[in-house]
Amino acid sequence: MSVKVWAFSESPSVANEVASSASSIAKAAGGSFVVVGLDDCGPLLAGDEKVVLKSDAPLSTSPEATADALARFAKEANPDIVLVGSTRDGKEIASRTAVKLGRPCVSEVFGAFLADGMLQGKRNVFAGKLVAEVALPLPCVVALKVGTTSALPASAVKAEEKAMGPLPSRTKLVEMREKQKGTVDLKGAKLIVAAGRGVKKKEDLALVSELASALGGAVGCSRPLSADMGWLPEEHHIGLTGVTVHPDLYIAVGISGQLQHVAGIKDSKVIAAVNTDKSAPMFEFSDYGVVGDLYAVLPAMLKEIKARRQ
Amino acid sequence: MKIAVCVKHVVDETELKVDPGGNPQLKGAATKMSAFDKNAVEEALRLKAARQGEVVIVTVGTPEAKKTMKEALAMGADRGVLVSADPMAMDARRTAELLAAALKKGGPYDMVLCSEGSSDMYSGLVPPMVGEILGLPYVGYARKIEVSGQAAKVERALEDSVELVEAPTPLVVSVVSEINEPRYPTLIQIMQAGKKPMEELSPDALIPDAPKSASLVRGMKAQAMARKRVVFEGPPEETAKKLVEALAAEGVLPR
Repeated sequence: MSVKVWAFSESPSVANEVASSASSIAKAAGGSFVVVGLDDCGPLLAGDEKVVLKSDAPLSTSPEATADALARFAKEANPDIVLVGSTRDGKEIASRTAVKLGRPCVSEVFGAFLADGMLQGKRNVFAGKLVAEVALPLPCVVALKVGTTSALPASAVKAEEKAMGPLPSRTKLVEMREKQKGTVDLKGAKLIVAAGRGVKKKEDLALVSELASALGGAVGCSRPLSADMGWLPEEHHIGLTGVTVHPDLYIAVGISGQLQHVAGIKDSKVIAAVNTDKSAPMFEFSDYGVVGDLYAVLPAMLKEIKARRQ
Repeated sequence: MKIAVCVKHVVDETELKVDPGGNPQLKGAATKMSAFDKNAVEEALRLKAARQGEVVIVTVGTPEAKKTMKEALAMGADRGVLVSADPMAMDARRTAELLAAALKKGGPYDMVLCSEGSSDMYSGLVPPMVGEILGLPYVGYARKIEVSGQAAKVERALEDSVELVEAPTPLVVSVVSEINEPRYPTLIQIMQAGKKPMEELSPDALIPDAPKSASLVRGMKAQAMARKRVVFEGPPEETAKKLVEALAAEGVLPR
């Protein structure tokens, strides 16, 4: 069976990941894959074939117009599988495209492969407590979970431009502010110390970052600390609606262990927890735990780590 | 301002039990209103308070979903519409089609509010699909909504940026949980919720001769989370030492 697979993401950093999945699905089925991009999103890096969609206005500022462009082009070229990066905008683009094309659609899929004429894969459900196996008949649209495949290396193929004509958008982007960027990349971090509600004041985060820096690690947090308290930028938020991490060591400090948080740390090699509450669910999800006050345990850990170095 | 809020009655993920074979015990499991849906209901009530109008709760669910409906009505919504069908037995597109058909029937609405995703499946597909089916603009992941005249100004929380977008009403908006703090209904509100009107619609009447829809999920299994679960208790100096030693023995501490 020869399948035609498309890889698309409005986000340049995600596009190469999607391309990598498209490439392996197409290769296994003896098919071909095309990387589709937008004219204002920078050059496409990977791809055996590259197509850049153009319109009168920048497409990247409107998921609505992007979906219009993608669906129109898909009606023309009829790909069997349209893979889209499952970003927040990507989910709108995938949804709208699937409805326009009358195709089934699933989001947040990882480990996608083709078998028995179906596009199959997995996705986390019930806040990561369960893994669902999904199977979609072709043709379909699938949004792939970000950060689950490595990027495909760049290819020298020249991109073909495709003018889609005017594509009106009813939503207008008035202003865009980049979120405060720190220096840490949690996705790639080997060691993470993450803070939760057990930390009582913003200033006390110093204890957590001191431990992190003594271990050469990065600082993360659970949702309340970034979303509700605003103590740390959103990029530090680990969990279902934040970043998914896979360090060698994850130390949860004062984190109760809500499923939504645990969903983001499952792939850590070793998990440790410090919490005053012996019945905190976090201990269930940890290899090692200390029942105790982080204000006493963290300084003691620091002392111990420094002593071991001498 | 007439606002519809799409909600979902779900199995409570925190209470969900798994048998030794890793199979979830969905039958008879504890259920609740999907976590972030309360934020969508709260936002609708907030918008209504400032501009008058009506808040209508719309859901696709089994008879048990009336529990969630009542909770939303107790929070302050005016009436409910239940499309009697099991969302677990269909895909996101069919759920969106049913919601859209119910919204069309009871509309027009100035705004359709949803949460960013349900706490069971967390697909995030239904809200934009409803927008697409109804031919409406969709603004996802709202953390602030302002309506003036025929336009909505929405602050969107994206992965690396915050966007301010404008869109004309009517439109579909999905919210993130930091948009507000959902209210708790009072005892009187809870008692009165049962008296508020709740309409039941049959999916066949909404979409006659619809092609068969099935869930795209083949099965669900528990995540393997084999952790050692060693817990140290005692004075901080001792437990800290034990923890550091254990982590060093695992080879995960820098030398």
